[in-house]
Amino acid sequence: MHFQQQGMAGGYQNYPGAQAPTIKNPQPSAGQQPKTPALNDRDRLNDMLLTEKYLTDGLNVFAREASHQSLHRDVMQILNQTHHAARELFNLMFEKGWYTLQAEQPSHIAQQQQKFTGYESQFAAPPHFRL
Amino acid sequence: MYHNPQNQPGTQQRAPAQPPEVLSTKDSLYISDALSWELLAAKKAHNMAGECQDPQIRQKLEQLSGMHHQHYQVLLNHLQPQQQYQTVQAYSPSYQ
Repeated sequence: MHFQQQGMAGGYQNYPGAQAPTIKNPQPSAGQQPKTPALNDRDRLNDMLLTEKYLTDGLNVFAREASHQSLHRDVMQILNQTHHAARELFNLMFEKGWYTLQAEQPSHIAQQQQKFTGYESQFAAPPHFRL
Repeated sequence: MYHNPQNQPGTQQRAPAQPPEVLSTKDSLYISDALSWELLAAKKAHNMAGECQDPQIRQKLEQLSGMHHQHYQVLLNHLQPQQQYQTVQAYSPSYQ
């Protein structure tokens, strides 16, 4: 067994047989974060993202349990906006090069696609509506 | 055959399909919880923005602080006392 070398950060590797390619922005030289015990900008952004994620968990239960309609509607909107905020923080972290994604192998995706297409026969009737 | 009671004269009115604009005890507990979360999140985002080096991150954090402040106000509005009292009175005359 042999390993092919990982490509450089931010590059998209050749596919067949290669290890999962990384999807990542280069970190700008100005964006180099000091590695000290003190919190840096990356830590702060991460901490705020955690806060938003935590809020969406709590608000989700709140929205589900709310009694009357106007309260439910307001909490749903707050929940939605909080999800949006978390997403924006994630995007900002990705932009700064602080988030790395691994692309799945196309062969694995094709396998799953085939398997679950086969399972479709288990539904009773074709869907009556489309999202 | 099914008859809609509303269509028959002299019969009882149909029960309301939705709960009235009254806060339940559970609502009140959740609102208190959510208000504390929003206040903490707003203060935290504002505090962090002040410590940030990157102006883009600072701006984002200030914006989030404002959002949480606004959420706080929306939730606080649901604790307006008059509305609760009037609606509950309409539902149960014995309510003091």
